[in-house]
Amino acid sequence: MSWIRIETHGGANAFLPGESITGSVYWELDPPVTEIELRLIWYTEGKGDQDSQIVDTARFNNPEPAEGRGFTVRVPQGPFSFSGKLISLLWALEAVAQPNDRAERLPITVSPTRREILLQSQTAE
Amino acid sequence: MIARENPFAVQRVLAIRYRLAGISWDELLDRLTALRSRAALVGPHGHGKTTLLEDLGARLAGRGFRVRSVTLHEGDRRLAAPQRRELFKDLAASDFLLLDGAEQLGRLAWLEVRTRARSAGGLVITSHRSGLLPTLHECRTTPELLAGIVSELLGKEAAVEELFARHEGNVRGALRELYDSYAAHPNPHPLAPSPDPSLPPSPGEGEGFVKESFPLASPANFSSSPGVGGREGSGEEAGR
Repeated sequence: MSWIRIETHGGANAFLPGESITGSVYWELDPPVTEIELRLIWYTEGKGDQDSQIVDTARFNNPEPAEGRGFTVRVPQGPFSFSGKLISLLWALEAVAQPNDRAERLPITVSPTRREILLQSQTAE
Repeated sequence: MIARENPFAVQRVLAIRYRLAGISWDELLDRLTALRSRAALVGPHGHGKTTLLEDLGARLAGRGFRVRSVTLHEGDRRLAAPQRRELFKDLAASDFLLLDGAEQLGRLAWLEVRTRARSAGGLVITSHRSGLLPTLHECRTTPELLAGIVSELLGKEAAVEELFARHEGNVRGALRELYDSYAAHPNPHPLAPSPDPSLPPSPGEGEGFVKESFPLASPANFSSSPGVGGREGSGEEAGR
């Protein structure tokens, strides 16, 4: 059975703007792949079209069929993780294997408080 | 309810793909070939044309075509320069053109598309009206289809006949209303079990459509209904 797993150092899942995220990606893939990329991404969910951006990457070339490798990516100053009624902005670490696009995603939070920001109209409920 | 928890968030809706009814994908592709690969997907707003076009594009790519897609928005009477490049640059027989919302184009712009598409391996458009190209498939919706989609998104059955009728079959419009209803409603969400009717109403009860038009219902058979994802967006463009 093929799998990919992302682990952050100490199991951290919330980060400050500007902070570095260190961790490891482990995998066991059959058939073998030519490349695995760890991506730090944000994306939106909600009522409208989705926006997304890859803000940092770590590439693992010539991966073994079963292996683990460390990574470090840097969180930018923003945007922060937030949610309102119409839109949520979400952060994640995503590992993608090529050429078959097999992927695994680990949700994280990015904000000055390490907590998702709830917009005013939402918190008023 | 915050957006990421809303079961009717666009990303979740778009994950539901088109469900052909009465025809298989192979038959549809054979029909497209019989129409010399120039054909239209026809239907009103919110009936799944865009979703079907996307799914068709994936299958054409699987058959070795290079798929080149352009989406037109409300009022786009002509192709913008980037759209022209996407469709026509180095056009070859291995290219298949997909044009979403072709009815928006002015007459001259449409004639140009038809003429230049002769160099391509094929051209499929979506349109609210028939007549631009031979109809490959007419997209239809039913209450059972909407019920099936809602059920898939909620993980429970629901009656949606009134909602479907109010939106005149526009499934995307109905799903958008459901999004708004869930967004506006504090937890517990609107489909939580109704309170004892003998008790006085709680603040806010009776707001929204759910209490009136979205009662739980018996399971509906929707397995063979055509499905509708539908691209969300602004204005009427989202209706394709």
